[in-house]
Amino acid sequence: MDQLYGISLYVISLLTFGGIYAVMALGLNVQWGFTGMFNAGIAGFFAVGAYTSAILTTAASERHIGGLDLPIILGFIAAMITAGIIAYGVAKICIRLRSDYLAIATLGIAEILRLMFKNETWATNGPRGVSLIPKPFETLPEPWNHIAFMALVLLIVFGLYVLLERARKAPWGRVMAASRENEAATRAAGKDVDRLRIEAFVLGSMFMGLGGALTAHYLKFIDPNAADPLTATFLIWVMLIVGGSANNKGAIVGAILIWTIWSATELLTSRLPDELAIRTAYVRVFLIGLLLQIVLQRFPNGILPEQREKALRAEREPQSQP
Amino acid sequence: MTSTIKRLTMAASAFALMAGTAQAADINVGSVAGVTGPIAELVAPIVAGRNLAAEHVNAQGGLLGGDNYNLILADSQCDPKAGVDAGGKVVNVEQVVAIIGASCSGATNGMVQSVTIPAGVVSLSDSATAPSITDLEDGDLVFRVAPSDAYQGLAIAQLAIDQGYKKLAMTYANDDYNAGIAAVFEQAFQDLGGEITANQAHEPNKASYRSEISTLSGNDAEGLAIFAYYGGSGITIIRNSLENGLFDKFMAADGMFDASVIEQIGADILRDNIFITQSASDYADDSYKAFAEAFEATGNDPIAPYAAHGYDASFLLALAIEKAGSADRGAIGAALREVASGPGTVIRPGEWEKAKAAIAAGEDINYEGASGNVDFDEAGDVGGIYSVNTVGDDGNWETNLIQ
Repeated sequence: MDQLYGISLYVISLLTFGGIYAVMALGLNVQWGFTGMFNAGIAGFFAVGAYTSAILTTAASERHIGGLDLPIILGFIAAMITAGIIAYGVAKICIRLRSDYLAIATLGIAEILRLMFKNETWATNGPRGVSLIPKPFETLPEPWNHIAFMALVLLIVFGLYVLLERARKAPWGRVMAASRENEAATRAAGKDVDRLRIEAFVLGSMFMGLGGALTAHYLKFIDPNAADPLTATFLIWVMLIVGGSANNKGAIVGAILIWTIWSATELLTSRLPDELAIRTAYVRVFLIGLLLQIVLQRFPNGILPEQREKALRAEREPQSQP
Repeated sequence: MTSTIKRLTMAASAFALMAGTAQAADINVGSVAGVTGPIAELVAPIVAGRNLAAEHVNAQGGLLGGDNYNLILADSQCDPKAGVDAGGKVVNVEQVVAIIGASCSGATNGMVQSVTIPAGVVSLSDSATAPSITDLEDGDLVFRVAPSDAYQGLAIAQLAIDQGYKKLAMTYANDDYNAGIAAVFEQAFQDLGGEITANQAHEPNKASYRSEISTLSGNDAEGLAIFAYYGGSGITIIRNSLENGLFDKFMAADGMFDASVIEQIGADILRDNIFITQSASDYADDSYKAFAEAFEATGNDPIAPYAAHGYDASFLLALAIEKAGSADRGAIGAALREVASGPGTVIRPGEWEKAKAAIAAGEDINYEGASGNVDFDEAGDVGGIYSVNTVGDDGNWETNLIQ
C-alpha cells in the first residue's frame, strides 16, 4: 500500500516537472515550430523568470535583494513580463539573423544571463542561490499540496495550449507558418514578417520565463546550476523535436514523455551494482541522444507531426460557405 | 493527454514490479550524490565511503533482525532540479527510511525543502556546507556531518595571520562551495588585522588565468589565497602565477588538496610556499585509523575530501535505525541524535557488532566518527576539525592538525 502511495506521489512529481517542461516546450514551439526561429538560449529566459519571481515573492533576506514577500501570482506575472522585455531587446537586435546565426546569438545571451546571475552576488546571492522561496499550496497536508501544485501546473499547460491552438489557426499563426516556409513570398504579400517574428519570440520567451518561475517555486530554491544548458535548453529541444514541432499537443506529449524517460531510467540503473551505477549515470545522457536519433529516423516530424493539411482545410471550409 | 497519463501509469507500475522483486529483508536508505555534474570526481570516493559503511554493517550481522542495509544511489547532478527529482524517487518509489546527501549545497537545499521536509524524512548530508542550510525550518529533519563553511574560512585566516601574512590577494572559483569559504575568509582575515589587496572571482575550467592573476598582483600582496578545485582551476592558477613570477606563496582550502598538485607543480617549488587546510580528521585518532585501514583495503584514498564524512553519515544512519528499533521514518531523527553524542559506549568505524550488542543490551552509545566526534548541535550541524597540509621532505603532503 505504501509502495502504491509512493508511486502515485512519484507520478505526480513526474507530471509536475513534465508539465513545467511542457510550458517551456510550448514556448519553444511558438519560436521554432510556428516561426522557425532557432532559440538556443532557453536557459537564459528560464533563469530570468526564476530569479524574478524568487526575488519578488520570498521574505526579506540579507543574502539577496528584494524579499518583497509579494503574492506568488504576481511573481508569475512579473516573471513573464521581465522575460518578455528582455526577449524584446534581444529580438530587436537579433531577429534578422537566419537560423544558425540566431542560435549562436541566443546561446551567447543565455550564457551572459546565467553568468550575470552567478556573479552579481549582491542581487542574487551568486552561486549560493536564493532559498526559502514560497511554494503555492505548501500549507496543505500531504499529499494534497503535491496534487494541488500539479493541478496548477497542468491547468496552466492546458490554458496555454488552448491559447496557442487559437493563435495557430488564426491569421497570425498562418502568417507565421507562411513566413517560415517562404519568407520572400510572405513579404511580397505585404506582411510585416519582422514584427511577427518579434512577437513570436517575445511570446515564446514569456512562456520560458513562466516555466522558470514555476520551477523556482516548485524547488523552493534556485541557483545558477538550475539554468544549466543541458537540462534547461537542450532537453527542451529534445522534447519538442521528439513530440513533434509545430504541434502543440506534440510539445506537451514530448515534454512529459522525455522527462519520464530522463527521470525514471534512474530507477533501473540504481539497481545495478555500485560500480556500474556510477557509470550508468552517464549512460542515461547517451540514451537520450540515442532516443533522439531513433525518433528522427523513424518519425522525422516527431511523434505527433504538424497538422497542417487539416488545419488549412478547416479554415477553407468556412470561407467557401457564403 | 489521457493516453499519455495511462502510458505513464503503466510505466510507473512496471517499475513498481521491479522494485517489488528486491529482497524482502532490505532496509533502504537513499544515497543521493552528484554522481555526474561539476564535482563528479570528488563524489566517487564519498560514495565509496558510504558503501564501505554499508558493507561493514551487512558483514557484521546486518540491521535489526539481520536485514540488509541497502543504499540506493540517485544522481543529484549538483543541480537543484535533479536533486528534487532524485530525492522524490528514493523517498516515494524506493520508500527509503532516510537519505544520505545530497552532495552539493544547492541540490541539498532544493531536495530538503521540496521533498524530504514535507515528507518527514531525515536527511544527513556528508558534504553540503552552505550556511543557508543551518537556517532552514526543518523540524529536526536535516542533519549534516560536514561542517559549515564558516569554520574553514576562519581557520585559513587564522593560519595566515599566524604565519605573518599581512597583505593577501585572493581568488575563488565561482561555485557555491568556494565562494562561501572565500566570503568567510575575506571577513575573518580583515577582522584579524590583515588586508585583502584584491579579490576576484573566476570561472573554472579555463585554459589560462593569466589575466586574472595579473589583475590580482600588485599592491604589495604577499601571497595568493586560492579557493578552487584543483582540477577545475587551482593547478592552472598556481602554474600561471609561477610562470609569470607574480605570486610564489599560496594558501588554499580543501578543494585544492590532492597529490596531483605536487605532481604537476613540483615538490621543491611548493615546499615552504604553500599550505592547504582541509576539513579533516584527527589522523592520530583511533576512529580515523580504523576507517583509513578499511578504506585503503578497498583501493581508495582515505584522505580524499569528505570520504570519511561519507562513511560516518552512512554508519550513523545505520546506528539510528538500529537504535530506533524499526525502519520507521519518524523515529530516525531522535535516534540519530542519541547515537551521535555521548554519554555512552564509544563506537568507532567498523565496530558494528559491538554497537549492535550494546543497543540490544539497552546501553547508550556514542559514535566517534572518522571525520570527528559528530556531535550534532541544535541545528543539526557539527563543528569541524581542520588540518594544515604542507609539502614534506619526501615530496608528499605532510598533514598536521590545527591546534
